[in-house]
Amino acid sequence: MVARRGPQPGVTTASALFAWEGAPDGVPSRRLVTRCALARVCGACGRPLGHPIAFVGTSDEVARNAFHLPPLHDGCVDAVRALPAPVPLTVVRTAGFEFVRPGSGDADPLPRFVPNSLL
Amino acid sequence: MAISDVQEYCHLTEADVEAIGRELDALRERVERSRGAKDAAYIRRVIRAQRWMAASARIGMIVAAPLDKRYRRPLQAASAVSLGLAKILENMEIGHNVMHGQWDWMNDPEIHSSTWEWDTGQPAEQWKHSHNYIHHQFTNVLGYDNDIGYGVLRMAREQRWTPANLGQPVYNALLATLFQWGVALHDLDLDAIRHGKKDPEEMRRQLAQIVRKGRHQLVKDYVLYPALTGPRWKETIRANVAANLMRNVWAYLIIFCGHFPDGALHFTEDELEDETRAEWYLRQILGTANFEGGPLLHLMSGNLGYQIEHHLFPDLVSNRYAEIAPEVRALCEKYELPYTTGPLHRQYGQVLRTIHKLTLPNRMTKDDRPPTGEGVTIEQHQRVRHEDTHQRRTELGAWSRAAGRSRA
Ligand SMILES: [Zn+2]
Repeated sequence: MVARRGPQPGVTTASALFAWEGAPDGVPSRRLVTRCALARVCGACGRPLGHPIAFVGTSDEVARNAFHLPPLHDGCVDAVRALPAPVPLTVVRTAGFEFVRPGSGDADPLPRFVPNSLL
Repeated sequence: MAISDVQEYCHLTEADVEAIGRELDALRERVERSRGAKDAAYIRRVIRAQRWMAASARIGMIVAAPLDKRYRRPLQAASAVSLGLAKILENMEIGHNVMHGQWDWMNDPEIHSSTWEWDTGQPAEQWKHSHNYIHHQFTNVLGYDNDIGYGVLRMAREQRWTPANLGQPVYNALLATLFQWGVALHDLDLDAIRHGKKDPEEMRRQLAQIVRKGRHQLVKDYVLYPALTGPRWKETIRANVAANLMRNVWAYLIIFCGHFPDGALHFTEDELEDETRAEWYLRQILGTANFEGGPLLHLMSGNLGYQIEHHLFPDLVSNRYAEIAPEVRALCEKYELPYTTGPLHRQYGQVLRTIHKLTLPNRMTKDDRPPTGEGVTIEQHQRVRHEDTHQRRTELGAWSRAAGRSRA
């Protein structure tokens, strides 16, 4: 689904990005992350994902192969990496992913993405 | 009402719910680990078979055109049936499952949720929103899940009765025969439009997309292929109408049997708050119904006879649902949870009974499914959803498609 406000060159405010819309603290809205996961749209521009699918994450997320930011177009990665972040974000590319909802006993309380065919 | 108050699993302790969650996680992980070449070969085989069926149907009609009536008519009829079956296979086992992302792991750019466009009136992009997200995330949640009656039928007692509901048997027949066009309009959210909650710009964009896709479908079936059969174009149009009708009625039947038999419960949006993965699994089991049948029936219904397994694991490859179904069922028995299933005719019989009963006000009929709660109406929840998904961002003086609040 198209959001009218997509990533534009030079835009670095989180609320310009689809899944971050209305999120005051720079963290994407959980509801919109779920929507990106299931409706298979890009977290940055809100348009249908392509092939391959890109995820950005910290080195810890890359090591665990579990990402918290929504899936992205290859071309939308830079808009997300330009957001103010405490640590630099690495990009991984995959053909597919599993969407894992948090369980009550999980150390990680957030829904996460597990790429299943890294490229 | 919290999800733990739903009567069907009141008897479970928190530890039980978590144990069920762990067992289902293990099932999922097992299939994910063993997914590979055999599964890829399966979907490629189904796609190949489907394309041969469609191609031989189109060619059959062209070849039949110059023949004598005696040979032409049976060949046209066989072609129409072959085309109808090809459309069914494409929509149910291929398109629906590919668009869930079930086959993305194969890394085949053609058989991928991002690129698949299916042989029906609804644009893939809108299907992935209305079905993958709205229906699968808010399964049977009153006011959220637009699949409850498709905005046309009164399928829940919590929906207010109006005299217009007296026409339900007629609307139902129309919905079945025109199903692809009903689905095509589905993501527009007619209810939100009626209440002035739809972003007009987004509505125009979606309408343009539907018109483009619809025109493509109509030109293909009713202009291009008929033209290829020359003077027999009228007969080709008739055959293509028959094929589309076959697919429409079948898709309607299978989809209605997934959530409207008596055992499938409705929920309220309170039950979504802070839902854990295990509770999400339970809501999917309780809101969904299977039907029984042989391998061919399951193939032609896109393995949606395993609707419970599909709702538990919507992105797990469909050819493996049959393998895990006995284990899901055993798990439900162990924890005394309803696992709603039955032969297709019985499940649809219950659907029909609900459609006919709900033509009348509630006081005139008896409820066949466990009640959702005292005084619950679908309208009060629709209001919440409108606020949620069609929120007006006054600070920008514009509409927004996305919710500002985080509720998922
Ligand atoms: Zn994008």
